[in-house]
Amino acid sequence: MSEIINFKNVSYEYRSGENFHRGVIGLNFSIQEGEFIAILGHNGSGKSTLSKLINGFLKATFGEVNVLGINPSDDRRIYELRSQVGMVFQNPDNQMVATMIEDDLAFGPENLGIPREEITERIDWALDIVDMKEYKNKMPNKLSGGQKQRIAIAAILSMRPKILILDESTAMLDPKGRKEVMATIKKLNKEQGLTVILITHYMDEAVEADRVFVLNQGVITVEGTPAEVFKEVRKVRDAGLELPIPSQVCIELISKGYDIPFVLTDEDLVDALIEQKQRKSKQKPGFKFK
Amino acid sequence: MARDLTLGQYYPVESFVHKLDPRIKFIIMTVYIVGVFLVKHIYGFAVVAAFAILSTLISRVPILSVLKSLKGIIFIVIFTAVLNVFFHTEGKVYFTIGKLLITEGGVFFALKMALRLILLVLGTTLLTYTTTPMALTDGLERLMTPLTWIKIPVHDIAIIMSISLRFIPILMEEVQKIMKAQRARGAEFDRGGLVKRAKALLPILIPLFISAFRRADELALALDARCYNATPNRTRYKKLKMHYRDFIAFLAGAAYIVLIVAVNNKFWIPTLTYSFPFI
Repeated sequence: MSEIINFKNVSYEYRSGENFHRGVIGLNFSIQEGEFIAILGHNGSGKSTLSKLINGFLKATFGEVNVLGINPSDDRRIYELRSQVGMVFQNPDNQMVATMIEDDLAFGPENLGIPREEITERIDWALDIVDMKEYKNKMPNKLSGGQKQRIAIAAILSMRPKILILDESTAMLDPKGRKEVMATIKKLNKEQGLTVILITHYMDEAVEADRVFVLNQGVITVEGTPAEVFKEVRKVRDAGLELPIPSQVCIELISKGYDIPFVLTDEDLVDALIEQKQRKSKQKPGFKFK
Repeated sequence: MARDLTLGQYYPVESFVHKLDPRIKFIIMTVYIVGVFLVKHIYGFAVVAAFAILSTLISRVPILSVLKSLKGIIFIVIFTAVLNVFFHTEGKVYFTIGKLLITEGGVFFALKMALRLILLVLGTTLLTYTTTPMALTDGLERLMTPLTWIKIPVHDIAIIMSISLRFIPILMEEVQKIMKAQRARGAEFDRGGLVKRAKALLPILIPLFISAFRRADELALALDARCYNATPNRTRYKKLKMHYRDFIAFLAGAAYIVLIVAVNNKFWIPTLTYSFPFI
């Protein structure tokens, strides 16, 4: 694994009227190739700013950003960078350019001047990955939200990026659509080795990541694996976030004196409870429910 | 449902006309329109009408649905016809209303103008009936490609057209949503006089514009994220190919314009000049 993104002391400031606002302050981190990163934070915490600094939508006021050896402030290499760093946004409807799905997928590679034969290959490949092959020459109007967002991901994949940034791409979807998109993202990360940066405010999505960054008022306050991050209950709550529901249950139970491990997912919680119960019945062999 | 709505009224059947290359269709359409304005002769109109009817028959679009498109322009046709009757005073006077004369020349001129308008609309309707909006934009882009030499951003124009087409159903749906939301707040859209109704539209338009701008903002980012304008050597995924049938259609168009010029010069039927002087 090699380092793919590196932020050194990065701050971003913007002006509105007389006042200076700070988007992000003193960010220091590096992301390895193939990692799945989740960025958590409430509205206005700077998580979108962070993602826009990676693909050069915004330019760092201070500090150094290095993405795939390219400085995003370098206008001459900006397209090279953006073809490598794909970005998917919140509303799938606002990302589609063409009235036909295959034309929409062709848009990115066309812009990059990829030969036609290869575009055809890429379209088939991308649609296959997001599992939407049979929709190749359909219109997007009748698709569900999850399907539309998968098409939006495929449209980015057709540029063959190394990094995929999802800027609250699941926020507008229903639970089914969210599941579909999450499954696609995980598949991309595991099978295609894509580096994924998922910006979200859903805790259950963050739990799936390799590493989690919690942003609060432009500063990364907690960083680590999901288990490490969610143990920092106070810091997470200070950032205006709630723990994943299984973890909340867990903490409540621990505070009531139950001896169970700290868990993040529904499955782990169920396992922990079963184990707890079995242990209890072993401790008191004579006890029986009536 | 508003979602299914697309611009134009594409009539999806398989036919010779449907399969034609959009570029050829555009060229023939232009030739056809030139023909419509070139004819001076009633036999010339017969040629134009025959061309329009024949194309419609070949396209397998029901003639009735093509004729329906005339409903929208009936008022304009009558209006121009009536105006033209009075503006042209030539030849035999049929009768007078005050100072206005209705003459043989005037009547014929009015008839011609009305016919022109009708044929114009019939032809263009057939184009939208047989060509998808996508193919239309595509064809137009290819035809305009030479204009890039004089620095006209043809591709940008094509993208603008294609995006507008894509967003029409989305914005329609949005209008429905906003109307429902405003109704829930007690708005009335179908009551009162003209002014009151126009005023009632304001609470729809403002949220619609706000949301359209918001969408435009995100769309701009999405275009940038997908490297729009990264290289001037953009490639094309879709290829438009000319077939035999396009050549045949092209010949038909050529024959049409030759025929019209011939009839205009009355070179087969020289005696006609004497029988109907104003036709």
